[in-house]
This record gives sequence, structure tokens and C-alpha cells, in this order.
Amino acid sequence: MLRKHSDVHATIVEQIKDVEKCLINFENFMRAATTPETVPETLRALCEGVMDAENAADVSLRAMIDSLSAGSYLPSTREDLISIAASCDKIANKCETVAKIIVQQRLVCPAEYAESLNEIFNITKQQFEILEECISMLFSKLNVLQQDPAKLDSIRALESQVDRIEDGLYETIYASNIELAAKMQFSHVIEMLCDLSDIIEDIADKIQIMVIARKA
Amino acid sequence: MWMYLLLAAGLFMGWSLGTNDAANAFGTAVATRVVKYRTAIIIIAIMVMFGAVLMGHQNINKLASIATNNEVSASAEQVDAAIAAGTLNTLKLKSALKAAIIFACAGLTVFIMSYLKFPVSANQSVTGAVIGWGLCYADYSNAEIRGQNLAEILEFMSTWLINPLGAALISFVLVFLVKKFIEKWLTSMKYYDIIIKIGYIIAGGFSAYSIGQNSSASVTAFYYDATGKGANLIYGNEGFFTGARIAAIIGGLAIAVGVLTFSKRVMMTVGSSIAEISQVDGFVVIIASALTVVLMGNLMAIPVSTSQSVVGAVIGAGLVSGVKKVHFGVLKNVAIAWVSSPTVAGLLAWIVGICTKGYFGA
Repeated sequence: MLRKHSDVHATIVEQIKDVEKCLINFENFMRAATTPETVPETLRALCEGVMDAENAADVSLRAMIDSLSAGSYLPSTREDLISIAASCDKIANKCETVAKIIVQQRLVCPAEYAESLNEIFNITKQQFEILEECISMLFSKLNVLQQDPAKLDSIRALESQVDRIEDGLYETIYASNIELAAKMQFSHVIEMLCDLSDIIEDIADKIQIMVIARKA
Repeated sequence: MWMYLLLAAGLFMGWSLGTNDAANAFGTAVATRVVKYRTAIIIIAIMVMFGAVLMGHQNINKLASIATNNEVSASAEQVDAAIAAGTLNTLKLKSALKAAIIFACAGLTVFIMSYLKFPVSANQSVTGAVIGWGLCYADYSNAEIRGQNLAEILEFMSTWLINPLGAALISFVLVFLVKKFIEKWLTSMKYYDIIIKIGYIIAGGFSAYSIGQNSSASVTAFYYDATGKGANLIYGNEGFFTGARIAAIIGGLAIAVGVLTFSKRVMMTVGSSIAEISQVDGFVVIIASALTVVLMGNLMAIPVSTSQSVVGAVIGAGLVSGVKKVHFGVLKNVAIAWVSSPTVAGLLAWIVGICTKGYFGA
């Protein structure tokens, strides 16, 4: 029984690592996308790196679901773990979508937005690192997570920071002299980029509900 | 031989007890899919039989004694007189008929109360019906009989308090200890899931055992002749399989059949709105409730209401987290059932007793 549980844990860790790899590839892509000198071919190659990582995350999600069906977790735990893993997969999906849009629409990001975009991305990465730690705690320090939800709270606090930067960016974009279509195009990409932070916050909420439901 | 058909009334009572009381043992676990329904009913059926075989005879003996004092079963003197007069078979028929009437009154009470959507206790209805019958037939002008019967009625009524209070106390202590110590073990979801799974299986099994010990008497005790002279359908005082034990086994079997055939619907709809308790507390509550029923059986040997002990245990668990966690408003309906189940059954038995005095009084 314990062996089966360990297998499930290993597949979840693997899936999270694949999503993390997708995020790292996406980070590289975004840095290139916000650098004016980057040629489209480089961007396309980096986008493919994001797509490959997303594919790998999909494969590990399916492996994780398979391992759960063979494991001896309670049905409610299985449902919760699948929900968390599927939400993590959404992070990879979103990275892929944003990267594709930027490549397909040949979006050139004005240099004045680069700093804010990088800041959003850094905070999102920070959120993901904390999330990764929290997911790991479900398998090793559940009681600590039950007693002190500070880590989960910090994910929410970081999401608020992303919201503030996002609002500031919209104001800057709509105050600029670029065409309305371009403004809307940028706004859409920024909105999707900030969705990453929202998804991570949603997962943190799910973890908190899961943890509270299992309090002794 | 056809007299044994009268056993059907008791067996039906056992069957309905099985369909309902199984929910107390594994309702939460099955509804939350912690334990599969098939696994649950097999464990219940086996453990009910264990409870009935090992300890059920205690309650049978006590209930048979109450039945004798209340003129449901024949006393040793009446049996001897019937043997001397050569009317033992008539006495046997009358005793079995009275038992069937008691079960009919208790069954009707359960039906009426359920129809009116009040929670109901079958065990309490059976004992209430016996006392009601006794109010019609027992010689209350005789100081000794009066004293004996009133003491039994008081003892019976005292379970309404001792049972839920005892369950609340045991549950409070167990939940407090579990909260204090188990959190250290809950270091991962795998341990949590294992604790929950094993906890619910142990709790459900123990609860089923307590049902076997407690309720098998309510099914067949009135068909048992304590004198061992054949004045009722089940008798015998020798060896391991005494009449009391056989009666308990038949009762246990009836309950087990109820569990195996028709318990799914009740099990899936069981839920407690009396207090907000966690999943861990859930199985501790079942253990506390079963422990109370077993202790009550050993101390007083009266079949007690399992729903009373469950309610008490849930309150005890809720109190560990604070008084605000207990929804005392819900208790009103439960309290009504505690008093009304035996009262209505007693009243029905009393009415039937009056109507049949021409036959049984003769």
C-alpha cells in the first residue's frame, strides 16, 4: 500500500518538474520577446521549446492519473490530487498559448513594458516555487501545512502584487500613443500572462481546502 | 411446528434493524467512499454475528426477565402449572403470540414515527411495548411485582440519559486524545488516508459487533423460555449453545440478512447535522458510540438505542472544538424520538393488551 502511495508521489513530483521546465522555457522566451534585437527565428525556436515542455507536462499528467488509479488513495484524495495536477497543467498550457500568440501575431513588445512584464514573470515564478513546496508538503509535512498556512497566504499576497502591476500596465498602455488595436493586442497578452498568477493562486486555495478538510 | 411461523414477526424486526442500524456502523465511510459498500456489508454481517454469538445472550436473559415480569413470557410457576395441567403447548402458543404482538406494536411504532419523519429507535420501541403490555397484565397491586417492574422501568428510562451522556463523555475524551496525538502522525496524505481507511474499518466492525450484542435480543428475546422447559419457541440451558445463545444467533442472523439485502439506501443517506466534525472525528465517534453500547450491555444488559449513543458521541466530539460547534436545535427532534418511541409502542401494546384480555387473561 505504501509503495503505491510512493509511486503516486513520484509521478506528481515529475509532473510539477515538467511544468516548472515549461515555465523556465517560457521565461527564456519572454526575455527574448521583450528584447528588441531578437529575430523571429530565435523566438520561434524558443516557442517550440515551450511547446515541447508543455507536451512533456501533458504526458506526465496522464502518467500521474494512471498511477492514482492503481494506487490506494481514498477517492476524495484522488479527486483533489487530480484537480491540483490538472490545474498545474493549465500553467503549462497558458505558457504555450501566450508564446504561440506572440510568435503568430509577430508581437513586438515595446521596451518600456519589459520591466513590468519581467517583474510579473518573476513574481509568478516565485509563486510557483512556493506552490511546489506546498505540494511537496502534502506528502511530507501535511501537519505543518495544517497548522501554519503562511506559505499559502504568501502565494495570495504575491498574486495581489501581480494584480497591481497588471493594472499599472493597462493604464500605461492605454495612455500611450500606439494604435487601439495594438493596445488591445498587448492587453490581451498581459491578461493571459497574469492568468498564470491567478491559476497558481487557485491551486493554493485548493490545497488549503484539501488541508483543512483533512484536519484531525 | 406452524407456531414457529410466529418467529417471523421478530425476524422482520431484526431485518429492519439490520437495514437501518448498518448505517450507524458504516454510513459515513460508505457515503464518502472510504469503504466499498460490498466490503462494508460483509464486515457488518460477520461482526454482527460475532456480537450476537459472544455477548448477545446477556441482553436476551435480561430482556427475557423483563418479559416475564411483564407477563409477556411465562414465569417458572406458570410453566410448572401448565406442565402439571398438560397445557404446555397452549402456554407455548400464547407466549409466542404475545411476542409476535409485541413486535407488531414495536414495528407499527417504527412505521408511524418514520412516516411522521421523527427519528425512531426500534430497540426502545420493543422494550416500551413490553412495559406497555405489563401495565395491562402485570399485577401492579402486588408490592413485589410493582417494585420490580417500576425499578425496571426506571432502569430502562435511565438509559435515555446514561447512554447518550456516557457516549458524549467517551467521545469527548477519545476525540481530545486523538486531536492531541494523531496530528503528529498526519505528516502526509498517505498516512492520513491509511489512518482514515483503517480507522473506519475498525470503527465500523466494532460498531457492528455492538449492534449484534445489543440488538439481537430485541429480535428474539420474547421467543425464549428462560425456564428451559419448552414454554416458548426457543429454550435450553445446556452447553455453549444455550437457548439464550441460540436466540441471540437467530436475532443476529436476521439483522445480518437485513444488512446484506436492503441497507444500501439508508447507508447512503446517513449524515449528521448535530455537530461539525472532521473525518478523523467521524470514526472516533463511531468507536465511542459502539464502546458505550457494549459497556451498557455489560453493565445493565438492556438493549439501548444505538442512535442515542451516536447522538451523544457526536455531541461529545463537537464539544472538543467548542460549544458553538454543536447545533443544539437539532436535538429537539432526537429527544422527542427518545421519549416517544417507547411511549407510543407501550401505548399500542397496552391497547392491544386490553383488547385481547379475554384470550390472554384467561
